Amino acid sequence: MADVKDGTGIKAGTALQPDSFAALGAWLASELGAERVAIVEAALLAGGAVQQNWRLDVEVTGGARAGKHVWVLRTDAAASLDVSLDRLSEFRCIEAAHRAGVKVAEPIAASGDGGLIGRPFAVQALVAGTAQGRRIVRDPKLSEFGDSLARELGRELARIHSVRPTAGVLSFLPVPVTNPSRREVAQMRKGLDGASEARPALEYVLSWLDQNAPEPAAITLVHGDFRTGNYMVDGGRLTAVLDWEFCHWGDPREDLGWFIARCWRFGNDDKVAGGIAKLASLLEGYNEIADIKVAASELAYFEVLAASRWAAISLLQGDRFIKGGERSLELALTGLMPPEMEWDALDIIDRLMAKGRVT
Amino acid sequence: MSEHRRLGAEALLDLVAEAFKAEIAPALPADKRYLAAMIGNALDIARREMAVEEEALGFQLLDHFFDDGDGTMQELSRAIRSGEVNDKTNPDLRARLKAHLANELKVRNPRFLGGRGVKG
Repeated sequence: MADVKDGTGIKAGTALQPDSFAALGAWLASELGAERVAIVEAALLAGGAVQQNWRLDVEVTGGARAGKHVWVLRTDAAASLDVSLDRLSEFRCIEAAHRAGVKVAEPIAASGDGGLIGRPFAVQALVAGTAQGRRIVRDPKLSEFGDSLARELGRELARIHSVRPTAGVLSFLPVPVTNPSRREVAQMRKGLDGASEARPALEYVLSWLDQNAPEPAAITLVHGDFRTGNYMVDGGRLTAVLDWEFCHWGDPREDLGWFIARCWRFGNDDKVAGGIAKLASLLEGYNEIADIKVAASELAYFEVLAASRWAAISLLQGDRFIKGGERSLELALTGLMPPEMEWDALDIIDRLMAKGRVT
Repeated sequence: MSEHRRLGAEALLDLVAEAFKAEIAPALPADKRYLAAMIGNALDIARREMAVEEEALGFQLLDHFFDDGDGTMQELSRAIRSGEVNDKTNPDLRARLKAHLANELKVRNPRFLGGRGVKG
């Protein structure tokens, strides 16, 4: 979700046009059990090249949500990665997290039907703050709030991991039947097989990950993209965990490894926990809530997994330009990034092998 | 800024990047700053790539695993995945791979290497 402070007017060619307000309002009323939902104003928010984010000012008459509200409508991405969930499935994951007590933008309603506004979409409550990673790690007050924010994020992650694949819970997500880390490796190899560029270093890292995969203590809900840049902060406090499209069942340590991966520290390399704090703060918050405690020493493997995953995704993002014809400078530059993550992954493997901790 | 001996593509790209960063980018509105930074970055990468022969850098790696002039990145990748090439058959495998990455990064992002204490 983009920073909500940058609203602009409605442009031609965007998904939501004034003539779709009435249909959208009627659909929302029926979903929410209200007499009427009037869309008073809609503004396209900045920062949505792939998907659109709209601020909706609404007035609800009747039902449990009667009153004035500000919501955000997100459309489905026109083009996304194979492993990402559609907007409706993502919404179901957000609902499950919300029930588990995770701080998310309150889920209001979602539609997998493209008929209403031309694309599937989800509506959530508006949340204050910024999600911009660079802005958060460069905040002059980071030294005051960084450690407490990391503890807060650790607690939220533990709440996400409290969701387990029991009967009826997010049953559309496949439960891994093999080691979940090896499953990740298999998925990445499959992606690389269709990529435009062969990457020997990444192949080496994937072989190492395959040979050294630890067994998980439990299979839990994994956010899949839990990192700085994907949560909202307002006044140094967490307001919402965002971007649930990579949610899956897996090893909970995968999320911790992703959060601390060097590529997501936005240059604040000494602050291992997402560029905002020391690792101990994140784990302190996590272990306060989690029923399965995690030690820092368990995370090196998952940092390597994270680096390789971002390398593989970057390569495929570049292919959206090279092979898919999407003329985007951002995608092209992202496609040049794999050597950075491959270097970091090999560095960690060097360190672990020097200590004799792995094969 | 680099010195050039001939007025060719490399020199022109160098000048374009310099003029863009010094005079155009600062005059752009705030919502175009990210795009301007990406353009500046892309021009720098293109300029550095023209100064090296990327294919030759690939052969520096491949020549350790295949007969001179033979072998491709695809073949090396397959050999690593199948286990035919590994740490035991090639004890310096990781070092070779890192040397290749360093060559790529000198073109794509030399600051990355600087941040990891490697001379760019």
